[in-house]
Amino acid sequence: MSAASEDRRNQEIIDYEEKTSRGGASPDELSIHTETGKTSTSVDSGPSPSGTPRSTYSEHDLAQRSDSPEMSLDLQSSISASSENIASTEIKSTQGEEPEPPPRKMDDIPLLAGEQLQARARDVTYLCPYTGPSRGTLSVTNYKLFFRSIDREPPFILAVPLGVVTRIEKVGGATSRGENSYGIELFCKDMRNLRFAHKQENHSRRIVCEKLQIFAFPASHKLLYFAFHNEEVYSENGWTTYDPIAEYKRQGLPNECWRITRINESYELADTYPAILCVPSGASDDDIQQVAHFRSRGRIPVISWIHPESHATITRCAQPLVGVGGKRSKDDEKYVQMILDSNPQSHKLCIMDARPNVNAVANKAKGGGYESEDDYQNAEVIFLDIHNIHVMRESLRKLKEICFPSIDDSHWLSNIESTHWLEHIKCIIAGAKKIADKVESHKMSVIVHCSDGWDRTAQLTGLSLIMLDPYYRTIKGFEVLVEKEWLSFGHKFAQRVGHGDDKHSDPDRSPVFLQFIDCVWQLTRQFPNAFEFNENFLITILDHLYSCLFGTFLYNTEQQRVKECVKTKTKSLWSFINNNLDDFVNPPYTTYLHQHVIIPVCSMRQIELWTAYYVRWNPRMAPQEPVDLQNRALMHFKRQLQRRVEELQRELAAKNTGGIQTPPRVSSPVQT
Amino acid sequence: MVCLQLLHRNIDCIERRFDANRGAIVIKCKNLQILRLDIPGQEEALNIADSIETLSTLEDISLWYPFYFRPRQFDILEDGWQAFNVESELTRLISHADHSWRISHVNKDFTVCPTYPETVAVPKSVTDELLLASASFRDGGRFPVLSYYHGDNGAVIMRSSQPLVGTTGRRCKEDERVLNASLRPGKKGYIIDTRSPNLIQMAKNRGGGCEPEVNYSQWKRVHRPVERHTALQESLCKLVDACNDSRASMDKWLSRLESSNWLGHVKDILTCACLTAQCVDKEGASVLVHGGEGIDSTLQVTALSQVILDPDCRTVRGFEALVEREWIQAGHPFNDRCGKSAYSPARSRYEAPAFLLFLDSVWQVYQQFPCSFEFSTQFLIVLFEHAYASQFGTFLCNSECDKRKLNLQRRAVSLWSWVNRPEVLQNYLNPLYEPNKSVIWPSVAPQSLELWSELYLRWTQDNSILDETNKQILCIKEHNKELRTKVVRIRRQLMDLQKEAIEKGLLAAGNHGNTETASEAYSSSAS
Repeated sequence: MSAASEDRRNQEIIDYEEKTSRGGASPDELSIHTETGKTSTSVDSGPSPSGTPRSTYSEHDLAQRSDSPEMSLDLQSSISASSENIASTEIKSTQGEEPEPPPRKMDDIPLLAGEQLQARARDVTYLCPYTGPSRGTLSVTNYKLFFRSIDREPPFILAVPLGVVTRIEKVGGATSRGENSYGIELFCKDMRNLRFAHKQENHSRRIVCEKLQIFAFPASHKLLYFAFHNEEVYSENGWTTYDPIAEYKRQGLPNECWRITRINESYELADTYPAILCVPSGASDDDIQQVAHFRSRGRIPVISWIHPESHATITRCAQPLVGVGGKRSKDDEKYVQMILDSNPQSHKLCIMDARPNVNAVANKAKGGGYESEDDYQNAEVIFLDIHNIHVMRESLRKLKEICFPSIDDSHWLSNIESTHWLEHIKCIIAGAKKIADKVESHKMSVIVHCSDGWDRTAQLTGLSLIMLDPYYRTIKGFEVLVEKEWLSFGHKFAQRVGHGDDKHSDPDRSPVFLQFIDCVWQLTRQFPNAFEFNENFLITILDHLYSCLFGTFLYNTEQQRVKECVKTKTKSLWSFINNNLDDFVNPPYTTYLHQHVIIPVCSMRQIELWTAYYVRWNPRMAPQEPVDLQNRALMHFKRQLQRRVEELQRELAAKNTGGIQTPPRVSSPVQT
Repeated sequence: MVCLQLLHRNIDCIERRFDANRGAIVIKCKNLQILRLDIPGQEEALNIADSIETLSTLEDISLWYPFYFRPRQFDILEDGWQAFNVESELTRLISHADHSWRISHVNKDFTVCPTYPETVAVPKSVTDELLLASASFRDGGRFPVLSYYHGDNGAVIMRSSQPLVGTTGRRCKEDERVLNASLRPGKKGYIIDTRSPNLIQMAKNRGGGCEPEVNYSQWKRVHRPVERHTALQESLCKLVDACNDSRASMDKWLSRLESSNWLGHVKDILTCACLTAQCVDKEGASVLVHGGEGIDSTLQVTALSQVILDPDCRTVRGFEALVEREWIQAGHPFNDRCGKSAYSPARSRYEAPAFLLFLDSVWQVYQQFPCSFEFSTQFLIVLFEHAYASQFGTFLCNSECDKRKLNLQRRAVSLWSWVNRPEVLQNYLNPLYEPNKSVIWPSVAPQSLELWSELYLRWTQDNSILDETNKQILCIKEHNKELRTKVVRIRRQLMDLQKEAIEKGLLAAGNHGNTETASEAYSSSAS
């Protein structure tokens, strides 16, 4: 036996033992929420509760196991040869009824209130790109796909909300030969693909596919999203998190220069805007109507944020309808002047156009364009060079290609570079930084827009608000920020994410919100104690961006959400999050530091790939030490102690102030 | 007023720039800092530059600062020269080994191997005569010695240099016996060679080579090539170059980082160390590690695998002992390797950032196990700085032998004397430390390895935010402690009051149970 092959043999033995020796957190603990269906994360962490070996020191060996089809086939054939006889398919369709009482423990799958089993196929093989094939039972509910292996102890479990599925493909046909060549492949929005192999003779694929199609793409089948069936109960009501009037009030609005208007109450002025807007008080409703005619989709400049001291503002809008002829609107110019006048600190105003200059010019041909500095005296137009949704979608596609399933060891960094993803992230942060800097250091008011003002504009205002206002770095504040800058101002979540829609190549899809969250993560890296929330908070938001478990991100506009009664018929993501705050708190967060502005560094060296999100399905990315759990335990312990101290202090006080007559009620004596 | 202090030895190179009648000196330091001094008057600038250059390139070691440095700010509480005495360290190492290993003084006065310490640990059954024969068959006389004894299963890591096999296939039965004596009955061992087969062939032509399997039938040979010398130095230069390039066009940052291949070298070393650790911990097999001379990559691998295997090496004292034993006393030629750093254009072929690469690898493991190390990453940076330029004598010279010749222990102060002082050390402790007794297996996947920005970017980026976070963690710890003492104090007060109440007959006896619950809650959470 050669040294190399001998070595590989050792490797296998070693890897196997490593599972038991690792002191890390078990996925059991890590995936608590998967079990209860609360979040959709479930790492492909393999068969063992103490985690798969993440470290394989013979690269060659790993490649063999994860990538080589021959290898998988070998393993599979030895498994399935012995199991030919047990093969049986059992398909239950329990639509509209209570799910059948659990017949056997093995078939028992965790269900949410309102979740129903739709199909079940036995003897299905999940082809894990990391730990090899695993045979078990695949269940489909109206919310998730659930796979439990029977050939490993403890069983390997995979729970994936159907909302993340972007495409379902059948692999192989009735005539396919060879192990695992016949089955289903699911392409997911959260940076992974899942492949299942069925046995032709079981005829289980058809029903699974059918149910998957229906419940992964309810919108295409004229069905309701699962959020409308979700009957989970939370003690918090997340729908009350954001109240626009209260948020304006927090910022000190209305004031002498700005008024709150309900002109858009019936969404007639701008159907993609919220009902309540804050506009310069000098602008009458008629003026506003006129300005709306000159702005794309009626999206007039409205306030996002006002500086508490200088009264410099960030306002957002859509591009002006200048067109090739270079149209002007006196009303719009007057309106912009009013925004400038509301800020006594500066005689200039900055218009940040998120697009590259050429794109802004090109938009003129389509009737859009940008403000000419000649017409808007006192305004300076700056282009921020952020690319459009199509460029971003392509960049993410490339990123997924290099992150999943396997990573090219030798070209990892240059591969990342070639996706340009980090460059785009940097560009967005740099743009937001420019805005924050103008407002904070130059006391200038800034108007932000791109073409429609719901993608790049939301990224820029959202990020600059986080930089400027510590409130948005708290959990509650961040929730308000998402509700305000993204949801109420009409970022088209349904279209960009493609909720429940089977048109996977829809050109309107784009990871705009993902990019925003990535940027926020970059900020948390640079200012680790300026944020109340942790990484898990951001990942949870992204998971539920796709999951359709909550009503929060459904539909494109506030108008649609009101029409569909989202607030009364579904639960809010913030209900879930505020109910489990412990999981989302960042222990080193300090309120007294970073009271005001955080200005990030935008050098490429500072921008990192968020591997904990993009590469998280790779078992090697699982955290080596359960820092999160430790933190949580510590926080819990701290609270316990604090409570105890308070209790004891109260008792002490009671005794010292003559409470001797009423001795404290001492509970639960413990035998020692 | 700005006060700037710089050790002469810290200066890697100096550049003179002149325009009109102003001069500028750019000082590039070994700790990667770059300073620019503007000096009015060309003449002065030139003079200053010349003096600095002369002072920073003194050839005679005994003129260097460590020989003049006398600590005035502190008394020596514990002499660092004695802190990690070879003999006592080795005795401790083999104390678990039920007498199968012994201490040998065969190298007394450094006569057998000038790069080894006087005291080494060898298999018990091996006589000094066998060692002498084996030494004559090994490059530089570096015969196989004990590096680590794994208490869990008795497997060991040994290190040596290459055997002098040569093209004629020389054989040394004594050497074979020395090696075989380290094996336990019925167990095979591994020889991990840090060179590629090509390199070994070249070494053969120059009289070196590797152990042929026919003669060493109880050993399996494994090749894990890791890069050495010039290639490492070039890699570091490219890396530092990329890190210092602050030009606007940063879109090529990642590909420059990749093409420096520094992280690739880190990965190679880590992989090799992990393999060594696996053989020891999982297979229970003994391992002999060597490359060519056995003073660079060999030490990287043996030291790093001990960090992985041995929880002691992750404490402050343990890591110091490791550096002392596996690097300084094992004869890593710090003087040759760390003479110049990443900037100097005048390089000798002996320079190589082998030690820095080791520290970087430890940092990578640290990133994955942030709670398992007693020291902070700052401590690693301190070691890096002192390895290249120091007022202390610890990293001077190429070997123990050289140190003895200069009578260094008498004439200079040890780094450990300073760093182990409580008021110094407290700055280098990891607040998150929770002793972790198990072996820690790092991931070596490329996405798991990061650039050590705390070190390479520390002069170009602001790290104050990270410091603040550390402070915050310390505050939390402090607050925790306060709360605990407060609980204890109040509990005591309560007990007193209860006792008083019972004495006065106001409270029934035996009713003070809930103070116990608190302490129980505490102990259960704390455990």
